[in-house]
Amino acid sequence: MTPALQLDGLHKRFGKTEIIRGVDLSIAAGERHAIIGPNGAGKSTLFNLITGRFPCTSGTVRLHGHDLAGKAPYQINRMGLSRSFQITNIFPRMSVFENIRCSLLWSQGYKYSFWNMVGRSPELTSKTMELLEQINLTSRAELPAGVLSYAEQRALEIGITIAGGADVIMLDEPTAGMSHSETDYIVDLIRKVTQDKTLVMVEHDMGVVFGLADRISVLVYGEIIATAPPEEVRANPKVQEAYLGAALQAEH
Amino acid sequence: MTGIPDSSSAVSPANGNALRSSLPWIVAVVVLLVLPQVFQANSAITILNQMMITIIFALSYNMLLGQGGMLSFGHAVYMGVGGFFCMHVMNLVEANELPIWLHVLPIFGGLFSLGLATIVGSFSTRKAGTVFAMISLGIGELVAACSLIIIVFFGGEEGISGDRTYFKPFFGVKFLQQNEVYYLIAFWTIVSALLMYLFSRTPVGRMANAVRDNPERAEFLGYSARWVRYFSFCGAGFFAGIAGALVAINFEILTETDLNLGKSGMILLITFLGGTGFFFGPIIGAIVFTLLQSVLSLQTELWQLYVGALFVATVMFFPGGLAGLLMMHQPAMRLGNLGLLVVPYVNTLIPAAIGALGLAGLMEMLFHVRHAAVGDIEMRLFWITFDSHTILPWVIAIATMITGFWLAYRNAPKLRE
Repeated sequence: MTPALQLDGLHKRFGKTEIIRGVDLSIAAGERHAIIGPNGAGKSTLFNLITGRFPCTSGTVRLHGHDLAGKAPYQINRMGLSRSFQITNIFPRMSVFENIRCSLLWSQGYKYSFWNMVGRSPELTSKTMELLEQINLTSRAELPAGVLSYAEQRALEIGITIAGGADVIMLDEPTAGMSHSETDYIVDLIRKVTQDKTLVMVEHDMGVVFGLADRISVLVYGEIIATAPPEEVRANPKVQEAYLGAALQAEH
Repeated sequence: MTGIPDSSSAVSPANGNALRSSLPWIVAVVVLLVLPQVFQANSAITILNQMMITIIFALSYNMLLGQGGMLSFGHAVYMGVGGFFCMHVMNLVEANELPIWLHVLPIFGGLFSLGLATIVGSFSTRKAGTVFAMISLGIGELVAACSLIIIVFFGGEEGISGDRTYFKPFFGVKFLQQNEVYYLIAFWTIVSALLMYLFSRTPVGRMANAVRDNPERAEFLGYSARWVRYFSFCGAGFFAGIAGALVAINFEILTETDLNLGKSGMILLITFLGGTGFFFGPIIGAIVFTLLQSVLSLQTELWQLYVGALFVATVMFFPGGLAGLLMMHQPAMRLGNLGLLVVPYVNTLIPAAIGALGLAGLMEMLFHVRHAAVGDIEMRLFWITFDSHTILPWVIAIATMITGFWLAYRNAPKLRE
């Protein structure tokens, strides 16, 4: 079976600095995969390479076996890959309802039409309400998204990310800056909405990573030093040395 | 005209609210039909005609600024070019006696401007923000310069004039009278406003808001931000062209002043004054501005100064514009305690108005002293005749201004609560 996401010999150079130094990674469909690593290891850059935000210097990214080279973010999105961002990235002046409805439009086949009225489709409205229900924001539907609390905005962003029905979901630090209870809430939400989907996430909170991921990749200075199930990663001496020891100590 | 805010769009299924959403349009149609019966003077009809044209133009501009997040400094180009094209069509009709109704002329204007917008938009909508603004400014300057050079199309400094009465009579109406033209413009105002409103409800219209708020995120929803901007831009160009055609019909002449940067700046001012956040904002802006322009300019030569001051005050104190100011009262109205606001309003607004009048008086006196003919020391202000070269009126004006603004400043916090 073709993997959902396959990276081969990925390199990225900004000027003379090489941020990503040869990453090979294969993520199976339905897998929950976490990428961890110290600050500045290139995790977010790797995300941006996969999603077409930056072009790679060399190497290939394949989504379900299709090469993504030279594709714009919106084209990659249409092929079934969706992402969230490290900083909250919603549409602040639009209502929560509108945020989700816009996220549904393309996958519902509306494209660039200016002859359909979006308000006229009961199906679109019910799909939107369904999604709002899933992310527990039904009561907030009419508010401008910009006034929501931080955790609610993050939940909304996850809603926006999954709305298009993409089967590969990439989340960039979904619990960054959250309290414990908020983190638990978001983790439950992620587990719920990514069932039967491929999840790739960057995360700093080791509790979240070890609770959620099927496999973990450790990225250090632009290279993956280990890819394994959580227990093996925890036991790996190389990982201990490079990153995890310090991170786990910080946790406790 | 419409009380439907842009943001809290139908959460409830639209078909259940068919009456509520069409009510503002019915009211608008009735108002437009009744207005010429109320104001029968030719001068009033002229003002109304201009007002409606400005409404279409401002709404089309808001497709860019309010809905698409594109700040254009050259939108008058699309109005002017559409208008010039219509003047040529008008002259062609006159020369060849073509059997065309005057009513369809705006379609020609719209399509011609649409054509120009598809060309300019193809490179100007690549990025929003500063890049777009600068390109629009450049194109605006370019076309304004061309209008003085390419005399075949733009007629040089005297512009292009024509005669609308050579069109095929529409059930006997030959458009000799101002109020005959009124109904034609009213028809196109309703049609254009309705189409622009419906555009904002389509997938592209909705995504225009998304792209305005966050272009990068929108790309990750499967939409190319550039294409979404492009469609909005073309739509805005089309409706600006319709406004231009109506200018051609109403004034029967177009000159360089109809497409220069001054005109572009004016429409930006009108749209912002009315409020970009709501669909009906530009309509309010157009009405207020046209009234100021036509009524205030009869009273004082300094009217542009006051409009400028109003604009600055709006930007500083009410960034949502007049529409935003109105909609701020919606929660209070829903709770039914609008009455609570009356006392603080009286306490703040009356002193503010008095202060503003004091300032205006000062300005007028200054203007009189500097610009009146030598020896002419008498001036009339607020129905009082006095000598502008004596000290007393100055003291009174300054005192009124200071007390007024001071009282307003002191009472303003209570209003905010």
